[in-house]
Amino acid sequence: MPGLPLAVRETTNVGCSCSHSRTADQMCRQQSRVHLSTEEQLAAEESLSVYCKPVELYNILQRRAIRNPSFLQRCLQYKIEAKHKRRIQITVSLSGSMNVEVQKQEVLPLHVLLGRPVADVTEHFAVYQLSRACAITTFNQYGKKDQTEANFIIPEIKKLASDARVRNLNIILISNGEPKGASGENHLSLDHEELTSFPNIEGNCLWGKIPIDSLCSSLERCVTLSLGHKAEMLSTVNMHPCSLEPKFLNQNNCMTFSSHNVDPMNSYQVQVSICAQEIGARERSPYDSYSYNDVPTSSLPHIIRLRTGNVLFNYRYYNNTLQKTEVTEDFSCPFCLVRCASFKGLRCHLTSSHDLFNFEFWVTEEYQAVNVSVRTDIWRSEVVHDGVDPRLQTFFYCSKFKRHIRSKNLVQNASHVHPHVLESQSPEAAQEGSHEDYLQKENGTCSSYRPIAYPTDAALLNDNGSYKEEKLQKASFSETHLMSARHKSESFGSENHYAAECIEPDSSSPDTIGVCAATAQASISNDFAQLGSGSNLVPPTVLQFAKTRKLSVERTDPRNRALLQKRQFFHSHRAQPMASEQVSSDRDSEDEVDDAIADFEDRRMLDDFVDVTKDEKQIMHMWNSFVRKQRVLADGHIPWACQAFSQLHAQVLVRSPALLWCWKLFMIKLWNHSLLDAQAMNNCNIILERFQNGSSDPKQS
Amino acid sequence: MLKYSSVSSLLSGWERGGEMAKTGQLGCEAAVGSLTPAKKKEYKVSNRLHEGKRPLYAISFNFIDARYYDVFATVGGNRVTVYRCLEQGLIAVLQAYVDEDKDESFYTLSWACDLDGTPLLVAGGSNGIIRVINAGTEKIHKVSFVGHGDSVNEIRTQPLKPSLVVSASKDESVRLWNVHTGICILIFAGAGGHRNEVLSVDFHPSDIYRIASCGMDNTVKIWSMKEFWTYVEKSFTWTDLPSKFPTKYVQFPVFIASVHSNYVDCTRWLGDFVLSKSVDNEIVLWEPKTKEQSPGEGAVDILQKYPVPECDIWFIKFSCDFHYNAAAIGNREGKIYVWELQSSPPVLIARLAHAQCKSPIRQTALSFDGSTILSCCEDGSIWRWDVVQS
Repeated sequence: MPGLPLAVRETTNVGCSCSHSRTADQMCRQQSRVHLSTEEQLAAEESLSVYCKPVELYNILQRRAIRNPSFLQRCLQYKIEAKHKRRIQITVSLSGSMNVEVQKQEVLPLHVLLGRPVADVTEHFAVYQLSRACAITTFNQYGKKDQTEANFIIPEIKKLASDARVRNLNIILISNGEPKGASGENHLSLDHEELTSFPNIEGNCLWGKIPIDSLCSSLERCVTLSLGHKAEMLSTVNMHPCSLEPKFLNQNNCMTFSSHNVDPMNSYQVQVSICAQEIGARERSPYDSYSYNDVPTSSLPHIIRLRTGNVLFNYRYYNNTLQKTEVTEDFSCPFCLVRCASFKGLRCHLTSSHDLFNFEFWVTEEYQAVNVSVRTDIWRSEVVHDGVDPRLQTFFYCSKFKRHIRSKNLVQNASHVHPHVLESQSPEAAQEGSHEDYLQKENGTCSSYRPIAYPTDAALLNDNGSYKEEKLQKASFSETHLMSARHKSESFGSENHYAAECIEPDSSSPDTIGVCAATAQASISNDFAQLGSGSNLVPPTVLQFAKTRKLSVERTDPRNRALLQKRQFFHSHRAQPMASEQVSSDRDSEDEVDDAIADFEDRRMLDDFVDVTKDEKQIMHMWNSFVRKQRVLADGHIPWACQAFSQLHAQVLVRSPALLWCWKLFMIKLWNHSLLDAQAMNNCNIILERFQNGSSDPKQS
Repeated sequence: MLKYSSVSSLLSGWERGGEMAKTGQLGCEAAVGSLTPAKKKEYKVSNRLHEGKRPLYAISFNFIDARYYDVFATVGGNRVTVYRCLEQGLIAVLQAYVDEDKDESFYTLSWACDLDGTPLLVAGGSNGIIRVINAGTEKIHKVSFVGHGDSVNEIRTQPLKPSLVVSASKDESVRLWNVHTGICILIFAGAGGHRNEVLSVDFHPSDIYRIASCGMDNTVKIWSMKEFWTYVEKSFTWTDLPSKFPTKYVQFPVFIASVHSNYVDCTRWLGDFVLSKSVDNEIVLWEPKTKEQSPGEGAVDILQKYPVPECDIWFIKFSCDFHYNAAAIGNREGKIYVWELQSSPPVLIARLAHAQCKSPIRQTALSFDGSTILSCCEDGSIWRWDVVQS
């Protein structure tokens, strides 16, 4: 079981009026205000089972993907690994200079670099391969962190102890602060825009170094470092004058420090504060080390919400009126148990891998939550309904048409949106949003479907209550997310200071239903046997279906049917709008031939002939009409057609000898062209003779 | 109703002419009208309106209902406007309709009425949807007529049965509609139909079965719906959904005339003769000579020509007064030529020009007795000319 079902909500919420638990209550509400009769409960259970099949499907897909994980999954895996890799962050800041006489502008700016000696370091000459430069422009003070601190990340302490290459590292301080009476000797082309880039320093300057080695030994003594505590130490660095020369050996950033022929500048000492902290382990919060067994059940939901990496999943079902809630850890997906490194990763994973559901993402200061519902609008043939034979289902290609046109409404909304939210949203989601919006407009209502952001500035919200309400109304999704809409208005109406960063309905469908993701796994277990038994039902229905062999509109996909009914169809010939019953009737207007009109036209065209007798025209017309109605198309049809024609028109032919004569002449012509064989012609004549002799039905004799 | 006496006198006159040419070709040289105005009548501008910037494509008096002979309507853009001509050159706006689709551009309108006699305005344009406006109740009448696959270029009403309208469309078809029941009765298209946009269509004034249509395939086609008349009658009593009506295709016209060598953009019946115009600065009156034995074939006898200078762009339509005594047509430069139709040779009644009327006149409207001439221009203006009583 990936998640932990939250079943004890009511107890925590009763009488609790503080805003924190109110929002928590709304987020984790579970059927609290809905009282159902037994029948309704049964129906609710039933609607919950909508989740079974998609979850089953995803289980199958997950099993297949174990050997060959998707690109997204590999990326997320890397992120997880990177996050848990231990390393030390070192922060260097300047706490002051030891020599009183040294003035501030002489020391500053101080460049802090991480360097490794390349050549043998002698007393007067050293070449360092440098990396990662930072510049400190002021002494340690509050505020401007980026100007007073230099941050480096070095491998973890065990690696420092073992790896000789790493041990060689030095923190190098370079100061080429302008001495009194500065001449043009110093070429410093470093300005504040370039602070993060590699400094371009040459000429005379002062330099000092702190070997990582020494740092390491002092860090090893610090026990609390491994527990995530900060280790701070002060170090005094001697700054020596030298002449600096950049050298680019093999395109690596190297610098030569030479103290030969250097003007004796005043060397001085600076005091440097070094702060080390192990990161990677920092993610752990004290709560993490608890096991759930020790926690009293009443405070359990609160604690598990507080854990980073815990995500609440609310499964909507029974027409969005009910929801089940569960919590997963480590940003793992409740359907396939994959850990997704971050909420963003989870969002990417859910939307890309589980598109049979709708997701609404909530992020607040306290918890991350996802509202899940089943998308009924995109059911593909993979999801087999009860009573539908998958083999007989027609496949259809369902592609999302991408619309780049956005309504004005969207643009207006976008202007309210906090920029960081715009960045965070995936383009896919935006497109989907606009697509949904387009559909909305078709239905006559015009509302925004874009993710909506509220200003994170809580003060602004509280200053102007009416404004925020109004904005909420505008922002609330017009469709059916009753729960979320209610939640929003309530939570914003209260005085709490949390700010919903981002609410993003990835898509929407009017009839969304929810379920516990645990059913996926539980379909094997006995508890949920009745829910998971959907797959067992398929074989008998197949057989039953095979017997009836009836494919009517009712049997086809409900989505297709809805589309059929919604659309306006036009008659293929008259271009007149058709009623829905006409559309679904058996009559196909596509190749409709208006026989009356065709006969009329035929007769009129035959009338144009001048050298043809009336009887000949009559026979021609009869034959043309017969051929059109019976669809006599190929040469091979002719023998049959002649016999059938003789049978059909025998009465008329027998009565008028002139007509009969014309017909026989026509058959001879056909025989001449080898379209009619003697046998068939004989049969025709026998048929006609029988009529002449008075027996109307040749079959009797 | 039409006065046939004058038409028949004209006919008899040409019979005489025909006698001379009997040995050779049909008829003889067509009589061409002289462009010097006969000064029979004098017209003066009495009013000028500006409806907007959009071009006005059609203007029409209501000849269907005797109560409303002084009511006319214009179409332009997505707007249909109804006016009334008052005394002393005044014009009153009665009603204005704006189509919900702002991209719609109406090209044509026609007055009709349902069986109760309620005046209806039938308008069509670029969308191909024919709108029926009930001018009595000021509401859009029932459903619009959907069926044409492209823009509607002209709508005309059957004067003998004013709930029948016929529409000519860019989709190369002509459709007959029953405005009372909203039924598309017949479609004149197919094997013998037009081969390009149909620009104009007209009902025969006395032969209820007959219509003439013309278009961009340079031909004028005369159709008969005699054999299909049962369907027309059925359409009046049809109670089921209009879409279920067995709409019939009429594929073959009874007569195809190649009178012009370019787009034929307006055609009207004058008795059994046909008036039609192309883009060669003249209206032509001709007689279709159909052979009873072989429909579709026949000869054309060109009777008269009514020159209209500077009228060489397409979609300029002429109009006639109720009795077809006179025809008025605008030209590219904003001038109007009023021709006496039934005299031989044709007489130019008047040539109307105004210094400020410079843009092409798409359509004119002659009042019941021809005393008022209205014109609608491409710059969205309506000009009213009234006859000067002498």
